[in-house]
Amino acid sequence: MFNELDPILHSQLRLSIISILMTVEEAEFTFIKESTGAAAGNISIQIKKLQDAGYVKVEKTFKNNYPNTTVSITNRGIKAFEDYVNDLKKYINPKK
Amino acid sequence: MDKTTLTPEESLLLITKTIEETKKRFEENGHIIILWGVLTFTVFFLQYFFSLTGLYKKFDIIWTCILFPIGAIYQFIYVRKTMNKKNLPKTLLIRVITTMGWAMGLNLMILGFLFSKQLGDALAPIFLILLALSMIVIGASIKFKPLFIGGILLNLIGLGSFFFTRDYHGLSMMLGAVVGLIIPGILLNKANRKENV
Repeated sequence: MFNELDPILHSQLRLSIISILMTVEEAEFTFIKESTGAAAGNISIQIKKLQDAGYVKVEKTFKNNYPNTTVSITNRGIKAFEDYVNDLKKYINPKK
Repeated sequence: MDKTTLTPEESLLLITKTIEETKKRFEENGHIIILWGVLTFTVFFLQYFFSLTGLYKKFDIIWTCILFPIGAIYQFIYVRKTMNKKNLPKTLLIRVITTMGWAMGLNLMILGFLFSKQLGDALAPIFLILLALSMIVIGASIKFKPLFIGGILLNLIGLGSFFFTRDYHGLSMMLGAVVGLIIPGILLNKANRKENV
């Protein structure tokens, strides 16, 4: 029996954002924007969804007098990502 | 970019691709390793040159007061500029390498400045061994074999230097700089450029 894939992560942009955050300790909004190539508004919406699910932590500070948003993955986000990858593997190799 | 109906294969591919591309953005390019290799080689070559010309005392001024501090200042500016330019994120690897680099650099300076008399003939071998440890850790962390092997060779040169008198330690340092820093640094730079083409 297959587990249902986490709907929060099963979206291209949110999955990209979470994958980036799995690689780093924390990333600035601009880094995520450059890495994904998506529009700022769209990224903000997806980060908000991830934040509401408790998967990421968002911090707003100032850098050189400009607002600076940094995003990091939470323990809950890491667990959700690992479960998601394990579920994907089951879909791809059901025998394992 | 928000396709919601991903197949499991597409999802895994997306995860792998994103992680690989993110890692590539903060890969080490060997610039700083080459810098310290060239600086170390230059300083000890000058030491050798000055000892031949009878100006040995001048060497102290060159390495402790001019060249190495210039290297440290350059590294500080270069790292800050690169981090700001690329909006580089914080990673455990970058933190480990940076902290170790500063801690090691400061210790080498302190040993050279304050404890050279106490350490006597052991100064250069200890210098090389400390440097080797850093290269081994960085090589292993970034999974770059030439740097790891260079670090081991540097370590062996350091240990081997204990068998020679102080007169030959300048040559050990020059050899160590070439084998453990300059060559692996150039190879790392080439590998980094090749990947980013």
